[in-house]
Parts: sequence; structure tokens; C-alpha cells
Amino acid sequence: MRSPYSEQEVIILENVSKRYFLYPHRVMELKKAVLHLPSFLKATRARQAFWALRDVSLTVRRGESVGIIGSNGAGKSTLLRIVSGLAPLTKGRLIVRGRVSPLLELGAGFHPQMNGRDNAVINAVLLGLSRKEAQEKLPEIAEFSELGEFINQPMRTYSSGMYVRLGFAVAVHVRPEILLVDEVLAVGDAEFQRKCFDHIEKLRRDKVTIVLISHDLENVKRFCDRAILLNHGAVAADGKPQEVVDEYLSSPSGFAAAPASGADS
Amino acid sequence: MAAASSASYADSLGRLNLRGVARTWELLLLLTARDVKLRYEGTVLGLLWTLAKPLLQALVFSFALGTVLRVKFGEDVPYVLFLLAALFPWTWFQASIQSSAASFSNNAALLKKVYFPRFVLPLSAVTSQLLHFALSIPILVLLLAVAGYYPRPTWLIGLPLLTAIQLLMLAGAVLLVASFNVFLRDLEHLVEVLMTLWFYLTPILYPLSLVKDRLGPVIYLNPMAPLIQAWRDLFLYDQLPGVEIWPALVFTALALVAGSITFKTLEGQFEVAL
Repeated sequence: MRSPYSEQEVIILENVSKRYFLYPHRVMELKKAVLHLPSFLKATRARQAFWALRDVSLTVRRGESVGIIGSNGAGKSTLLRIVSGLAPLTKGRLIVRGRVSPLLELGAGFHPQMNGRDNAVINAVLLGLSRKEAQEKLPEIAEFSELGEFINQPMRTYSSGMYVRLGFAVAVHVRPEILLVDEVLAVGDAEFQRKCFDHIEKLRRDKVTIVLISHDLENVKRFCDRAILLNHGAVAADGKPQEVVDEYLSSPSGFAAAPASGADS
Repeated sequence: MAAASSASYADSLGRLNLRGVARTWELLLLLTARDVKLRYEGTVLGLLWTLAKPLLQALVFSFALGTVLRVKFGEDVPYVLFLLAALFPWTWFQASIQSSAASFSNNAALLKKVYFPRFVLPLSAVTSQLLHFALSIPILVLLLAVAGYYPRPTWLIGLPLLTAIQLLMLAGAVLLVASFNVFLRDLEHLVEVLMTLWFYLTPILYPLSLVKDRLGPVIYLNPMAPLIQAWRDLFLYDQLPGVEIWPALVFTALALVAGSITFKTLEGQFEVAL
């Protein structure tokens, strides 16, 4: 079957909807399940549907960097989780072309008892490299993370800043073709943050596709060619960052949410 | 559909591609190595514990049953060897199921943030226990040789055969247990108790012949009974497994089907439950 999309379109969402269920009274304990079977089953039925995304259609072209903005609960993180393959779709169609590197949480899966070097290799393989590629990248990762001798120490001895530095270093060195960033850059000291943004800027010049969630609207204007505004799970605006940001700020929800810049994951 | 690949392990239909299979295999090896490396981290004896634990356990059992209770078990083999020939494979079985039960629920952070073939998590528990089992075989061979039982060519067929059966059985079982445990955390505790019961129901401390007359066909409900007996027959009597191993084969097939269906069905809801 011929795809109606050009090869230049690397992320395609077609009428994507995502539903979560809320179970108000459900506790998953064997004792309760067995002793109160009728009410347990009733609680399972009495679930409420919550649509985190509704009928979202969009395409991202190769090399584009797209900022996703919107107030808390608008569906930004859900969108990224769907593109990264972490969350199955309820409805619609998703096509992703290329290696996805999700920067949803830096250093997820690091084991505190193992040294930085071994952790970096496992993390890189988890993110999609082969073991050989991961080992070849190791010197670069070690240098970028500025850990020095600590790279050979168990990660339980690391400060949280060192943890994040290694996590970021691995994530950007797995040669991502599509980089998904979820507000993680609000960590580390100012010096390292600048280094991260410099590196993202470099990836952008190398035509890596970037999708970035940020509450920092200045960053969206600075780093993105395009911005998408989500509102209650639907695309409310899509276009030039300046215009979309202005629209967000002029909407009642945007005005309320803009000054607060906390992570919403 | 055009050359579409998602999350680099599978195409957008969810099928594993060839590169994905290779990487899944490497991931399994890396996680197994990590497991082995970390198991005895900070202990003086390190990997020696793998051997010391079942050996000491066997001494305790033979003291309790042989010296204290004076059980007559009616075989001409020294009791410690009789015990170890069954205890080593059983330890692999029990430790795999116990250590993999929480392998999804304990890795919530990872499962929610990175997409990778998740079934490698419980499987790596099985393979790292397999490694410990493999390391214990030379000790068994040595002890058997001291008592005058030498390895035979039949082992070259018997060892891989029984290992394969038990490996596949465990693969199915751990997928089932670990997947359910995401939604019902009680399971990991229940499993611990049930494994103790299963241990006594399986002819490890005693020969199969001891219960065969009394229990009759009921024995065939326990797939581990013929499997453990087959290990023992191989190590002690150089016998290859015969048709009487069928309950283990049936259970292996059922476990694989049930395990993969359960995992496939529940995996989509991990993100919500974890």
C-alpha cells in the first residue's frame, strides 16, 4: 500500500484519541477483591472515561522543531508518550519514522549500585543503540557529562545533578532522529542547562526532528520553528511560535497558566 | 505502508524487525549480566554464594531428615547427592519465579519512561538464575565423581534437553506471574508461600517412588514432579527422559501460550497501573 504521506513527514498522527479510565473506588488488593467481590466488580464497571487527547491530527516534517504548549492537563505529555510508543492509542493511526529518543525523564532505569559506565551502556541500549554502538559512544558520553573519575563509581554516590547530566548525555548521544523533550531541561545548574540547549541547537542544525514541551514560552520562541497549542486534548492552534504563544497568552486558560512554570508530568 | 518504524524496536504494526530482535537479545544479555553482578555485591564470598547456598541447604536437609528424623528413603545413593541432583534444578526454578514476580512492578520508572521490549525484564531473571544453575553443575559433577558416579555421554543430550524444557516452562510462567503482579501486588507474596508448598509437593527431599503408590495419577498434576525426577535420573542413573515426562511438556506449552497472551493483553495497561 502506498502511503499518502511523503518521506519527509516523520511523525504522523491521524485522528488520534486517547482515553484513560478513572476508577474512583478501586483498590487492587486481593483480600478486598475476594471478600467484596460484588462491590469490587461494580467499582470496576463504574469507571469514568477521560479523554486525554481528542481527534488529534498533525504531521511533523523531518528536521522541524516543534514546541507543544498548553495549560496543565491539556494533553501535552500524553501526546509525547504516544509518539514515543509508551502509550497505546485508543483510536486513530500513528506513523513514526526513525529512531526516537524520549527525554521524558533523564536516567530512568539507572541502577544505583552500578557504576556510571555500565549504566550508560544499558541506558543507551534501552534507547535503541546496539551494544557495540553504545560502547563506541561511551567516551563522548563520559566527556559530555563532565563526570570525570565519577564515571567509574557506583551511581548511588552521585549528586542529583550528576545523575541528570549522565542521563542527558546518554539521551543525546544515541544519534536520535526524533528527540522528544518533556520539560526535563529545567534541571541541573545554569551552566549545564546552557550546554544542553547548545547541544539541542546543534542537533537541530543536524536536521534532527525535535518535539519539545515547555512552559517556558521564551524557550519555545527561541528554539522552535513551529508551535502547537493544545487545549483539553485538542489542537487549538498550530503555526508560527510567536503567533501561537500570543494566542495562548490571550486565552483565559493561558493567561492563568503562564506565570506558573512547573513540570506537569 | 511505507518503510515505517516506530520506537526502533518494532514497526508501527508492533512486529519486531530483525535489528530489533538483535537488540532485544543484547538487552537480555546486559540485564542478565547486571543481575549477576549485583546479586552478591558487597559480600566477601561473591559468586561463591551461588554454590554455597544450595550446598549448605542440602546439608541442613540431610541433617534434619537423615540424622534427626532418620528417614529411610530406600535408594543406594548417598542422600546428599540424591538431594543435590534435584535441589540445584529446583533452585533455578524457584528463584526464577520469585525474583521475576516483581520485575515489572519494581521497574515502574523505567517502564513508564522508555519504550523497549518489556518481556526482557522477567526473562532476564530466569536467564541469570540459569547462569547460577550452570555454575553449580561442575560442583555436582565433582561431588558425584568423588562418590564414583562419572559423567556419561548421555549428559550431552540430557542436559540441553532438560534445560530447554525448564527454560521454556519458566519463560511462560514468569510472563504470567509478572504481568498479573502489576495489577495485583499480592501475587509476589502469595507466590513465595506457594513455592514452599510446591517444593514439598515435588519429589526433591524424597524419591518419586515414595508417593507414586499412594497418590497415583495425582502426581501428574504437578509438572515439576516428572521434570525433577528426570534431572535426578540423568545425574544419578544416566537415564534420558522418557514418555513419563509428558506432564512437564504439556505444562510448558500451556505456560507459554498463557504467558504470552496475558502479557500481550495486559502490557497496554501497564502505563495506567504502574
